[in-house]
Amino acid sequence: MKRAWTLFWQVTFGLSLLAIWQWGWDLKARLPWLVPEILDPYFVSKPSLIFQHFLQMGCLVSYDGHWTFATEGGFAKCIGKSENNLWIATYVTLKNTLWGFAIGVSLGFTMGLLLGRSDRLSEIFYPYINAFNSIPRIALAPIIILACGIGDTSKIVTAVLVVVFLVFFNTFEGARAVDRDHINAARLLGAGEWQVTRTVIVPSAMAWLFASLSPAISFSLIGVIVGEFIGAEHGIGRMIIEAEARGESAGMMVAVFVLMIVGVILTTLVRRLQSYLLRWRPANVSTA
Amino acid sequence: MPSTPPEASACRIDIAGLSKTFLADGRDVVAVDDVSFRINDGEFVALLGPSGCGKSTILNMVATLIAPNGGSIKVDSQPVVPGKPMRQVGYVFQKDTLFPWRTVEGNIGYALELAKVPTAERKGRVAEAIHLAGLDGFGHFYPASLSGGMRQRVSLMRTLIARPEILLMDEPFGALDTHTKLDMHSVLLSLWERTRQTVLFVTHDLGEALTLADRIILLSARPGRLKNDFKIDFPRPRNAVQLRETKQYADLFQKIWHSLGEEFTKSRAT
Repeated sequence: MKRAWTLFWQVTFGLSLLAIWQWGWDLKARLPWLVPEILDPYFVSKPSLIFQHFLQMGCLVSYDGHWTFATEGGFAKCIGKSENNLWIATYVTLKNTLWGFAIGVSLGFTMGLLLGRSDRLSEIFYPYINAFNSIPRIALAPIIILACGIGDTSKIVTAVLVVVFLVFFNTFEGARAVDRDHINAARLLGAGEWQVTRTVIVPSAMAWLFASLSPAISFSLIGVIVGEFIGAEHGIGRMIIEAEARGESAGMMVAVFVLMIVGVILTTLVRRLQSYLLRWRPANVSTA
Repeated sequence: MPSTPPEASACRIDIAGLSKTFLADGRDVVAVDDVSFRINDGEFVALLGPSGCGKSTILNMVATLIAPNGGSIKVDSQPVVPGKPMRQVGYVFQKDTLFPWRTVEGNIGYALELAKVPTAERKGRVAEAIHLAGLDGFGHFYPASLSGGMRQRVSLMRTLIARPEILLMDEPFGALDTHTKLDMHSVLLSLWERTRQTVLFVTHDLGEALTLADRIILLSARPGRLKNDFKIDFPRPRNAVQLRETKQYADLFQKIWHSLGEEFTKSRAT
């Protein structure tokens, strides 16, 4: 019952927002004091226009207003014609985000483990890592574009730079916080140095790593989009910039909504993965 | 094989003049002072004393976890080197040190994985250990979903599965409630009476020491010195519950209790 009410209010709230967005501006002439400037369709478009743009950008409806699936091969023809359609853009952005995430996480974890377990290495490198971490990574994006070109590499590198420090600091703390008694227990059960690392330190630090995975995937997406803003051939970020150049707010909104959906899917998947990998934790274990 | 005299081979742990001083609040605190004793093969020895008397410190020095300041420890005639655990020695902690990310099976089989025992043999031995510990059906559980008593049984089997000839136990049942503790005594007795490892068992619980051990070494309050060495000759196999109702148990309890009581009073006074 409580669930049903929650759902009811969620739907009501969402529909009200859409309604205000769709028809709010029409009231401007009669009730100018009630309607804020922000609703001006020139800036924020309207749900109906955005949906229409979505159908066109996604090649579901051709520009003369016909469903592409109604004609034989219409969808494929449309996809082939427009260089940066929604599907290719989403694919490119998603692919680069996942690569940036994977490389950034592996690199950050390895660095965190090495420095976390070696006082010597951490003493030498920590100030540099701290200094580098203080640079807003986004500020490096133009340099990366200059160095790596406007292809996928520059987007992946930007994403890696954003992700790697987040993961590094988490793993570093995790590697330092390994329970002394677990290490002693492993040694007394016959573990050598390498076996202690593999069977105690890595799994302990993993718990900390997993906690950083869901911010890491969001950060990776931010890195890729910023890279695309500055210079790219494909991608959702690129779509936003193109729509902006045409003064087409509906096109920008479509891209933003697709990003939102991509973001929700990615973080949900990562959270699932996270709770599976951390299923041994007290909070995740159902008591028998 | 070098021939060794029978006496020397019977002695598994030889502690001579052992001392340990800790630095606390800028002052040297003597935890263990000139302690000497020997433990023979197959003996179950309880190291008993009031808390803070240094009994765990002695155990941890034998286990190579702490370096002594003076004296010597020999296990099987080999001097013990701090930080270099010996193959034949197993250790059971008081604290829960199970690996939380491993299941019951994963924890128990850990030592066998390290020793690269073939998977089929490992699985067989793990299943047997789970059965012996009365944990059938819990193999796939994570430690977080087990009770304290079950966790301690897993801990015990994790150490025993490697078949250590010498077993060091640091108040392994100290954190358990009375009934679980009695239950654990039965489990330990039935396991040990089959295999008869050499055991050094640290406890402050006289009843526990009497139930389990062949010998009780009583330490004085800090600084820990050897006070008494009692022989406990109750017949085996023992029943952890019924033993406590016998007259011999009551007599011996009273005798040692008096001696132990003096030390408890002393440790309160300081």
